[in-house]
Amino acid sequence: MDSQNAFLRNIRQSLGLSPDEERPKRLFPALFAKTDTTLILQGIKNRTAEQQDELVELLKTNARALSITTHIVRTYEEAAAVIIHLVRTKSPEFTPTKHIIHHDHPDLAALQLWKRFDREGEGVTVHTTFSPDRQLREKTIASFIGITAPDIGVADSATLVQFTATGCPRSTSLVPSIHIAFLKKENLVADLREAYALLRERARLDSYVFITGPSKTADIEAQMVHGAHGPREVHLLLFCLSVVAETPNEAPIPLVPLKEE
Amino acid sequence: MNNTNPPTYRSAAAAGIASPRLQKSLHGLQDRFGKGAMEIWATMDDREMRHRVKDSRMNTFAHLDIILAELAKNVRARGGQVHFAATAQEAIDYTLAVAKKNKVKRVVKGKSMTSAEINIDPALEGASIEVVETDLGEYIIQLAGDKPSHIIAPCIHLDRNQIGELFAEKLGIDYSNDPPTLTMAARSALREKMLGAEMGLTGCNLACAETGQISLVSNEGNIRMATTMPPVLVALMGMERVVATLDEHREALHLLTRGAALQKLSTYVSFLGGPANADDPDGPKEFHLVIIDNGRSKILADPEFREVLACIRCGACLNICPVYGKIGGHAYNSPYCGPIGAVVTPLLDGINKHADLCKGETLCGACKDICTVEIDLPRMLAALRHKLAYGSDRWNTRQHNPIEAYVYSLWKLLVSNSFLYRLSLRLGWLLQRPFVKKNKMISKMAGLADGWTADRDLPPLAGRTFTDLWKRKYAVGRPSASKAQKKGGS
Repeated sequence: MDSQNAFLRNIRQSLGLSPDEERPKRLFPALFAKTDTTLILQGIKNRTAEQQDELVELLKTNARALSITTHIVRTYEEAAAVIIHLVRTKSPEFTPTKHIIHHDHPDLAALQLWKRFDREGEGVTVHTTFSPDRQLREKTIASFIGITAPDIGVADSATLVQFTATGCPRSTSLVPSIHIAFLKKENLVADLREAYALLRERARLDSYVFITGPSKTADIEAQMVHGAHGPREVHLLLFCLSVVAETPNEAPIPLVPLKEE
Repeated sequence: MNNTNPPTYRSAAAAGIASPRLQKSLHGLQDRFGKGAMEIWATMDDREMRHRVKDSRMNTFAHLDIILAELAKNVRARGGQVHFAATAQEAIDYTLAVAKKNKVKRVVKGKSMTSAEINIDPALEGASIEVVETDLGEYIIQLAGDKPSHIIAPCIHLDRNQIGELFAEKLGIDYSNDPPTLTMAARSALREKMLGAEMGLTGCNLACAETGQISLVSNEGNIRMATTMPPVLVALMGMERVVATLDEHREALHLLTRGAALQKLSTYVSFLGGPANADDPDGPKEFHLVIIDNGRSKILADPEFREVLACIRCGACLNICPVYGKIGGHAYNSPYCGPIGAVVTPLLDGINKHADLCKGETLCGACKDICTVEIDLPRMLAALRHKLAYGSDRWNTRQHNPIEAYVYSLWKLLVSNSFLYRLSLRLGWLLQRPFVKKNKMISKMAGLADGWTADRDLPPLAGRTFTDLWKRKYAVGRPSASKAQKKGGS
């Protein structure tokens, strides 16, 4: 704390103030005054189905421009089918075998992915990020697909806001080569202003990340290349129970029935 | 900024101008990003936002003691450790102590100009710690033993063939000049480095005092890797890189990603406010925030230059500056190049030492027009020239070029005395005669004046002045005002 005191003393001196007179925050209420977000939050809450559908369209358009593949899914079955298709058709980048990993999240548990890869010789291992698991780091590094359920989607910038929480670690959306995000339509907001209003409600969160498309770089002759360090593909499963039916999906959904045990 | 025997501004600028490769890259960069940013500012719905963010930055500085104390308090409340470093050396010592305590063998760096400013790499390497840059551009620069030449695009001066050769030599891969192939080679090599590092070392784009978090922006994901996989994280933050509230953060971020790369948002924006929870499988177990002064409080104290602290390092001014656009970044001999570098480098590292920077800029005003937060860089460039011309005790600056000062004193005397002025013109006309060539131009002047003709020919002084010519033409038979009026028939 000594270094802090000397440092702040010096700042006060630089500002032409008495170096030894600490300025308490309470005397400057305007500095940390919060803007009123009641209306923004109400706007999000009271959004009509039509307005939500407009946001879905906006998100899809913006996602396409950022090389995010959007799949509109209406049921957990459809969501599982898209994931199964991706797991089967994509190749692992760093390992010879197929491992996938998903967050310990109710929406992802509902997909029951652990029992979907039982074709003979298929050899897909499904991991869940259960928090007591000491091998999660290794499992994440071994996985070529990471599946998460972001907490907020932002239509204007095609951004996913992923909170870090117990059972929802940071590396699942980062280390695997492909990131699949499962987003419920009701978690979609219009823009960052709305997203920040929601974030302020969750001020105690230590860590979160905005994800806007796959990892990319243009450091070599300004040529865009996807997959610099993070995922080279991002697939967004947008879960819309009452979606605009006439909107065709960008990627075909091969339906795979859930096998009865 | 402690380079050994760096090339001079002039020699590096000349080399930049002579490089067709660099000229092509810079032209492409400015054509796209410079024009693009101006277009965004011109068509923004919220025209007041840049002004508002600037005001909020300046208001933050006026209360910086309160805001930094709040930031430190809130980071500590999240379990993070905060260290205030008055100098570069203090920041290095602290970081090194953290590394040693944790028996760190490898540090992976997220792109951080502050780390370059304090020159931390030699100190880490001196302690037998491997230092790996993870931003692709910075990694290429590190492999090449080179220096960055742009804030956002560090290896813009290298082309794909050079990078291909570099990778073949250093990474042992087959030669390729295909950017995706080269990127994938770096991806594999750096993944190993990042997954096996004990410490991540990053900068900080913007800290938020209200929430006690830092935020980091990247497109590649290297900064997420460096802040997620190693067990120890040290974030180096210039003391001005803070906003008070989340509201202010949103607007500053809005401008940062647009100014930097015309993006609504960069691919990743990470918010971090302390170590990971005990049951998290990843994230740092130790989180250290090092808040660095290193000359910034001196800038803060000077109302003439305080404004430059508002910079959020988007690099937009590089993408429009006609000087940077020709000479490239190496001439600035600093992690901070371009117009912003021409102001901030002398202020942080010595006005005399970097005297060429402010003199090299044209004061055309383009950097002010494009600046995300409307910083008046040309005004400060002129102010730096003033310090160099007259010296400044506050900035410990001596008169840069006494001979130039004498010449201008003499000039002042001549132009304020008609007789002396005419006499000197006459004298000059006589003295120049041996230098006037057949084409009636002067191609080379003597002594101190030879710089004037280094890149161009000059017309000689005329034998007769304009006043002489005027008198000769109109003194005799000049129509009187009354005659002219009659002729006009009014």
